[in-house]
Amino acid sequence: MSQSAVDVPPKGGFSFDLCKRNDMLTQKGLKAPSFLKTGTTIVGLIFKDGVILGADTRATEGPIVADKNCEKIHYMAPNIYCCGAGTAADTEAVTDMVSSQLRLHRYQTSRDSRIITALTLLKKHLFSYQGHVSAALVLGGVDITGPHLHTIYPHGSTDTLPFATMGSGSLAAMSVFEAKYKEGLTRDEGIKLVAEAICSGIFNDLGSGSNVDICVITKGNNEYLRNYMEPNPRTYVSSKGYSFTKKTEVLLTKITPLLERVEITEVGEAMEE
Amino acid sequence: MGDSQYSFSLTTFSPSGKLVQIEHALTAVGSGQTSLGIKASNGVVIATEKKLPSILVDEASVQKIQHLTPNIGTVYSGMGPDFRVLVRKSRKQAEQYLRLYKEPIPVTQLVRETATVMQEFTQSGGVRPFGVSLLVAGYDDKGPQLYQVDPSGSYFSWKASAMGKNVSNAKTFLEKRYTEDMELDDAIHTAILTLKEGFEGEISSKNIEIGKIGADKIFRVLTPAEIDDYLAEVE
Repeated sequence: MSQSAVDVPPKGGFSFDLCKRNDMLTQKGLKAPSFLKTGTTIVGLIFKDGVILGADTRATEGPIVADKNCEKIHYMAPNIYCCGAGTAADTEAVTDMVSSQLRLHRYQTSRDSRIITALTLLKKHLFSYQGHVSAALVLGGVDITGPHLHTIYPHGSTDTLPFATMGSGSLAAMSVFEAKYKEGLTRDEGIKLVAEAICSGIFNDLGSGSNVDICVITKGNNEYLRNYMEPNPRTYVSSKGYSFTKKTEVLLTKITPLLERVEITEVGEAMEE
Repeated sequence: MGDSQYSFSLTTFSPSGKLVQIEHALTAVGSGQTSLGIKASNGVVIATEKKLPSILVDEASVQKIQHLTPNIGTVYSGMGPDFRVLVRKSRKQAEQYLRLYKEPIPVTQLVRETATVMQEFTQSGGVRPFGVSLLVAGYDDKGPQLYQVDPSGSYFSWKASAMGKNVSNAKTFLEKRYTEDMELDDAIHTAILTLKEGFEGEISSKNIEIGKIGADKIFRVLTPAEIDDYLAEVE
């Protein structure tokens, strides 16, 4: 029963069988469904006592906002969190899988997980799928060797940086970081800078929007500040509510029975087989 | 005995209907160090002797009681290396369950899956049964639970159980001392007294291990200092 939980292709690695089928279908004229992407702004920075990660909360499906308040900062370990940009399903599945592997590893070694372990597990997975797993991640945390911040690209390459941004709003956020980042920021300064960078992405990039999520990780402690800032509240909500004209059918209650109610009385004995 | 002709191959029944290799595995368990478990009204305690082969062994590096999940722990009697393999497999199964259902694995499910693994090794070619019996202690939505799993793959839920060298004395002692409404601390005292019954030499925090889980659903192995406190209370 445990085999069904993880369907491994018999020879290992990605099975390209369905790609031929998909090509054939597109040639015949079928439009492939679009992915639910997180056109996103995700950022991370290292401050004096640890790492701060930030993300917006808009998930888009083409030009439509599919989720106005999604969670893009994923739990990996008590001391490691990961922001994800790209295809929402890919980021969630990959972070969930690596989080599970890290937990098992913690049991075996009786030690806290290291960020470099999470990094290596993620990049190995992404590389083996040759960029088809569209997950661009900002991974940060604090372990025994100190605070670390990394970016991971869908093809499997990684960077180690003091401050990082990813997603469609990354340029807007990076401009804020490049102007205002300095080493040894305090917690409040760091949170303010991260919020500013995310807001810059929210307001200047169409793919990012809604609220700001922040996660502060320090040695032995993490704080997940969900919806830390809500710069896009829904204004002009009519207090009267909607008003329909009096004739509108929708306000009438009419019950139409679809079937005749028939009373059944039991007569005689049950059939003998 | 007449069974001896059939005792070489695991997958062959003897005329009396037994799988003799499993009987031998149970003998291996029976010659292992004593371990026991008691289910209290508000938790479970498991304990074992920790007799090291020489005083030169660093006893801090040996831990016989292991976590399988944050709320399930286990101890064994029998062959240590076999126990390590089973613990590894069980942890992986618990993790796969959590990943699939996003629910911590219930104790009965984990016991069933571990028992299935042990049974597979009694019906395959080229392998031998595990030479351990496990005591699995856990606390989930159904409350505190204690299970014993044997090399054959059979498992039972126990209110109190013992295994290993001193099993008959220990079980008699437990039968006399067990009460349904026992609390966790009483259970720990009873566990220590039961271990003391057949203990060779002086019992101390360095040669026993105790693990407990209470209503907080967190399985913990007691530190030597805590064991010393309980030992002092028992005196």
